[in-house]
Amino acid sequence: MEAQGAAAGAEGVAGVAVAKMMNTPQVRDVLRASALADRVGLGWRPDLAAGIFEHLDGIDLLEVIADDFFSAPRRQVRALKTLAAQVPVVLHGVSLGLASSSPVETKRLDQMARLMDQVRPEFWSEHLAFVRAGGFEIGHLAAPPRSTASVDATASNLHRAQAAVGAMPLVENIATLIDPPASTLSESAWLNGILCSSNCGLLLDLHNVLANGLNHGYDPLEFVRQIPPDRISAIHIAGGKFVSAPDGSQRLLDDHFHDVPDPVFDLLEETAARATGPLTVILERDGDYPSMDSLLAQIAQARRALAKGRDRHRDRRAQLIEAVA
Amino acid sequence: MNSSSSQLEAFLARLYVDPEARANFKANPRAEAQKAGLSEDHCIALENVDWIGLEMAARSFAKKRRLKRRPNWFDAFRSRFTRLHFFRFGQK
Repeated sequence: MEAQGAAAGAEGVAGVAVAKMMNTPQVRDVLRASALADRVGLGWRPDLAAGIFEHLDGIDLLEVIADDFFSAPRRQVRALKTLAAQVPVVLHGVSLGLASSSPVETKRLDQMARLMDQVRPEFWSEHLAFVRAGGFEIGHLAAPPRSTASVDATASNLHRAQAAVGAMPLVENIATLIDPPASTLSESAWLNGILCSSNCGLLLDLHNVLANGLNHGYDPLEFVRQIPPDRISAIHIAGGKFVSAPDGSQRLLDDHFHDVPDPVFDLLEETAARATGPLTVILERDGDYPSMDSLLAQIAQARRALAKGRDRHRDRRAQLIEAVA
Repeated sequence: MNSSSSQLEAFLARLYVDPEARANFKANPRAEAQKAGLSEDHCIALENVDWIGLEMAARSFAKKRRLKRRPNWFDAFRSRFTRLHFFRFGQK
């Protein structure tokens, strides 16, 4: 009995010691960093810099456009490194053209690799688009014809990117005003084919899903349900506007100049209800900048949508466990 | 690399950036696609292209290219000097 009591006492002392050790600020930081928590951040834009620094406590991370720094002076890259030392940063590419049937240019991959090495972001991402072909620079992200050939070419480009940069990027679905001709696969089948053949994670742009769904006649919610939930790592939310077509009809343009509409928050809730891992949500805004309060309000709304989705996820899991037991 | 897919992408890229190529294609889609050496399947697909989407996408890309264009010396001069009060003399 005495021995047991001594052992229990020793355990108690050890327990208190461990608890004290775990309560240090350093350990708390490590635990917080490693916790499987959803985060909501903002796309870094120079016009928003002052507001971002003023409200860093309400922004979990920043997404920086990598291409802006490929040819930047050294002092700007140093400033980015300083920023990355203060706030979690992720890099986002816009001009590699990963979904092109031609191999991604080595020079561009090298630029991305160099920046990754300098900034050491949490992850990097790029679009599933082609941006140049046959000597023509399109100037923006174009949707390639969705076929098994473009799935294979994209997977090949992704493996080249992984080898050159040292990490596989998250791939992002794009918005397109034109339904790409010669497509033999649905958008979800094409996307799933790429995820499957390259084993990469997905940066799911929910406004792009909404725009393509409305413009090309599919249900955005159904699209989200067709994506493997374990592959969704990050999410973009943004706003756009309807533009008139020559025939008088309207299509939704993903311009990032407007507030996030409610259907995007509904899609975010659905995604959070299905996703199995932690989600990183980024609010994108590229112009017509509103007040910082407005951006923070949209970040707060994203947090609420995430929380509602996660509650649904937990409820469904509890129901399943109950049903099995 | 699939050369047939590459040819199709090059053809689309040209349609997106070149209004004249787009007008020619609209006037005679099959002939233009065949002239570019595209496969029969791709020619058929292009005959049934989303015409409205093509025009809207091309306009959107053109706008993006304009926004990305770096200002030349004249733009820089104009933006710097129109800020001076002297150049706004007489304006309210």
